[in-house]
Amino acid sequence: MCKTAFMMQIILFIRKKEENMTILSTQDLKKVYGSGESEVHALDGVNFQVEKGEFVAVVGTSGSGKSTLLHMLGGLDRPTSGGVTVDGKEIFTLKDEELTIFRRRKIGFVFQNYNLVPVLNVYENILLPVQLDGGSPDQNYIKDIIDTLGLSSKLNNLPNNLSGGQQQRVAIARALASKPAIILADEPTGNLDSKTSQDVLSLLKVTGQKFSQTIVMITHNEAIAQMADRVIRIEDGRIA
Amino acid sequence: MNVSNRKTIRCLSIASFKAAKIRNIITVAAIALTTILFTVIFTVGMSMKYGFEQSNFRMVGGYAHGGFKYLTKEQFEELKDDPLIKEYGKRIFCGMPEKEPFHKSHVEVSYCDANTAKWMFVEPKEGRLPKEGTNEAATDLRVLSLLGVEPVIGNEFTMTFMVDGQETTETFTLCGYWDYDEITVANHVLIPESRTQEIFEKLGTQGKDGMTSFWNMDIMFKNTSHIEENLDTILARHGYQSEGLDQGDNYIRTGVNWGYMSAQFEDSLDITTIFALIAVMLLIIFTGYLIIYNIFQISVSNDVRFYGLLKTIGTTGRQIKRIISLQAFLLSALGIPIGLILGYGAGVLMTGIVVSQLNGIVLTYSVSPIIFLGAAAFSFVTVWLSCRKPRRMAAKISPVEAVRYTEGAGTKKKSRKGEKGASIFRMAMANLGRNKSKTVITVISMSFAVVILNITFILANGFDMDKYLKHVITDFIAADASYFQTGGPDLTSFPEESVSQIEALDGVKGGRTYQKTFAAQELVTEEWVRKLNGKYSSPEMVDRYVEMLEKVGDLRAERVQLYGMEDFVLDKLPVIEGDLSKLKEGGNYVAAVYSSDDYGNLHEDSHWAKLGDKVTIRYVEEYEYYNPETGEIYGEDEDLSDKRWQDRAKVYEDKVYEVAALVEVPGKICYRYYGADEFVMGADTFIRDSGTSDILYYAFDCEDDKVEQVEQWMQDFAGGDDSMYDYESRKTEEEEFYAFRDMFMMVGSGAALIVGMVGILNFVNAILTGIMARKREFAVLQSVGMTGKQLNRMLITEGMVFAGSSVVITLILTIVMGPLASDVLEGMFWFFSYHLTVTPILAVAPVFLLLGAVIPLCSYRYVAKRSVVERLREAE
Repeated sequence: MCKTAFMMQIILFIRKKEENMTILSTQDLKKVYGSGESEVHALDGVNFQVEKGEFVAVVGTSGSGKSTLLHMLGGLDRPTSGGVTVDGKEIFTLKDEELTIFRRRKIGFVFQNYNLVPVLNVYENILLPVQLDGGSPDQNYIKDIIDTLGLSSKLNNLPNNLSGGQQQRVAIARALASKPAIILADEPTGNLDSKTSQDVLSLLKVTGQKFSQTIVMITHNEAIAQMADRVIRIEDGRIA
Repeated sequence: MNVSNRKTIRCLSIASFKAAKIRNIITVAAIALTTILFTVIFTVGMSMKYGFEQSNFRMVGGYAHGGFKYLTKEQFEELKDDPLIKEYGKRIFCGMPEKEPFHKSHVEVSYCDANTAKWMFVEPKEGRLPKEGTNEAATDLRVLSLLGVEPVIGNEFTMTFMVDGQETTETFTLCGYWDYDEITVANHVLIPESRTQEIFEKLGTQGKDGMTSFWNMDIMFKNTSHIEENLDTILARHGYQSEGLDQGDNYIRTGVNWGYMSAQFEDSLDITTIFALIAVMLLIIFTGYLIIYNIFQISVSNDVRFYGLLKTIGTTGRQIKRIISLQAFLLSALGIPIGLILGYGAGVLMTGIVVSQLNGIVLTYSVSPIIFLGAAAFSFVTVWLSCRKPRRMAAKISPVEAVRYTEGAGTKKKSRKGEKGASIFRMAMANLGRNKSKTVITVISMSFAVVILNITFILANGFDMDKYLKHVITDFIAADASYFQTGGPDLTSFPEESVSQIEALDGVKGGRTYQKTFAAQELVTEEWVRKLNGKYSSPEMVDRYVEMLEKVGDLRAERVQLYGMEDFVLDKLPVIEGDLSKLKEGGNYVAAVYSSDDYGNLHEDSHWAKLGDKVTIRYVEEYEYYNPETGEIYGEDEDLSDKRWQDRAKVYEDKVYEVAALVEVPGKICYRYYGADEFVMGADTFIRDSGTSDILYYAFDCEDDKVEQVEQWMQDFAGGDDSMYDYESRKTEEEEFYAFRDMFMMVGSGAALIVGMVGILNFVNAILTGIMARKREFAVLQSVGMTGKQLNRMLITEGMVFAGSSVVITLILTIVMGPLASDVLEGMFWFFSYHLTVTPILAVAPVFLLLGAVIPLCSYRYVAKRSVVERLREAE
């Protein structure tokens, strides 16, 4: 009796340690679109873990399922089966509304097409997730992000007066603002020229390190992928 | 370069047309609503014009364009086939009854063919026109009622009437009858042609009076222009003339229906009415513009990328304009017919409501094509005006910028201040600022309806019954129907037996007023005659008029109007100065009648007599006619038509009275007709001096608890359409007041309803398109953590701000404009008292706010059917 209890405690301890290390994991993640003849297995049993502070690149060709994977990781879409655990939380047990709240607290998104809100200026866009959560922003932290990303002079600008690179830097700042557990970047340099791509990516990496962020980036560009700590390849919905 | 690309453009246009289903539905509805407003205006306007003409024709006694009078049979046959004549009708005048019971009525016995009967409004409602070779006759209900014959087909009736100076008594079998029309002067008895010939043969009628036994031809031409010229042309072609008998014995008299000539509806439109009409039309165009422009403008902004793409691949600005024009055409082709149909129905309803409140206009529904053409044209112009700017906008789109375009942004504004970050409310406000013109127009459009509704309420609430009933000074007035319908001198008197019947009713107390049915003059200064007539006539006409009046010493003999009032009525008169008790005592006293306007302002110069003045009234028994140049006195039967003549009293009696009081005779108990200076006498004095006692009306009050019974009794006695008598009571006046007020309520609420629908439609469109265009943006917001609840809250805030601003704007407008409106309205309606009310606005506010919440919610639910990922991926 006593012995069993002890064993349980050890297992719990090990689990806890594991959780401390692994910020994101997937469990046999599957996503099927359509049915019958037109059935498409966008994800076909994906399993991987990401450790805290890691910069992971997911590489795959168009249609390989990498975007679907990213949407699953961010809780934007629900899988057909399997699960995703973020910061120890099995996210698909959450209801839609809870999932959204979880997302704005734990996940920062950076999209290929920046997806800034056109009617809000740069500063308001950056603060949006924090304020949607009803929190008051950590001014020093926000200022730090803005300075690091070189946006101090653009705070009052509306998004469509910014260049692509500037817009993407705003998007990165927005993703960082809520101090999330992970940043999910979907082809963040897809719309940028190579020089700007390099700059933006460096900034992403630098800020990730500086603010000890975990970053999962999707790209089809091998050269870009090489800047990551680890590269996961995905083909036909499976990890290759 | 001339490329035939119309087909391609049409294809593109139709393809993008099909893609915008919701916009199309909303636009068609908007165009239909605008068309409804126009059609209603046109229907009411045209129906009233038509009704006005019909009233004129009824007064004239027919609507034939014109005709030839007193033809021989041969002349008739000769003229009837003239090619200018489109249709003709035949009438033969036979005779007129003069004795009881027709001594006060104008009844003509004649033959009319079907055309003439139709054109003279004497087509039987029951039965038919008399058949040739029978003893049948058709007539109206008034003649039957005078004869005491039940209106049953087959009943026999006997009439005695004068045929060219000879009396005859004939018996007829009733074969048809129609309603008596008060507006028409003459009553008719129609008999077969064969019967007229029998009567003429029996009496040996020669037609000495120039009328009897001759043939009249009523004529319809192809149109109403040049009626007189046409008549003369026809005569000339057949060797006749219409100049006069002295021009030769080939003279034929012509007649032109003055209903077509003068007193046209257009003439009665004064400047104010025309301006009001133009204002209403502009308001409708504006209402339509607000929504149709908004829809197109929004639609173009949302399709900027599409137009940019078209530009990129080589579509010219002109072609893009054509794409939009074509869509506007298609939408009009759907919306306008719907609007015309619904609008005509609404217009017919409105016409009924409006006409019932107007005197002298017959209720008719015009089916003139002008209604439909006019309304359609106005609607189309509105659509065309509305899509002009959006068209230009689409044509100007730069292909490069179109790709970067998001609604409203990227125009001029490059940055906005704000370091506080985003709150839901601020985001909502920022969203409303995206397309400012859309927001402003939508708000105006919604406010517009509320303003109309509120004005309607202010108007209807402001109609002050106490003011309206100011002129009603007795509970009831009973008189011959003509007193209420036409007014004027020498009306049919109200019989003494009827007065006795009313007097016998329980709780009734009243008095008679006797009317002047004889000739009377007053002797006044020339100065006064000039002053009085100078108001209406030119100096030359006044000179001529004064010359016509007989000189008596320094004074002139001028017409005068007299009342003989019993004490009860005298007591009701508002006395300006003096005392009426002397009138009641029966001495030689009169009261001079002054007038005041509806607002109660006395017209100081409306009478010459002052308190204590003496007035000579000349009761004339016989006039004589004389030549003013030679002084020659004409014989009694002499034809004066082409001679200079003047008249003067030959047999008369002068009586001198003292003016004991200055009074007003309120509108409800006066002659209802302005003729001459008026004096009131006590009833006894009046009867004594004039030797007549024709009752103008019997005015009476009634004990409060008997009012219902008396009202009922009066209703039975005089309320029916075929009754010769009529009455007015406080209750009928109140009903009239309410009916008048209700008319405004109906018309105003109807307008507010339709304009409100336009406003709400505009709102729905603005919200819906705003949400559809931002589908992807919402997905972005959700992806960065905005919950559905927060998103809904933002959208509801947007909707509420729309609705709230229109309520606030309306409130401000109403309160600010109130004093101005008050002056205008009190000037327009004398029984209007301005009270500021905002109740309708407050009543509408919750509805608007509810819509402001519900419409965004529903629209969003539609959008939210698709997942965030789907929406994120879309439309790149």
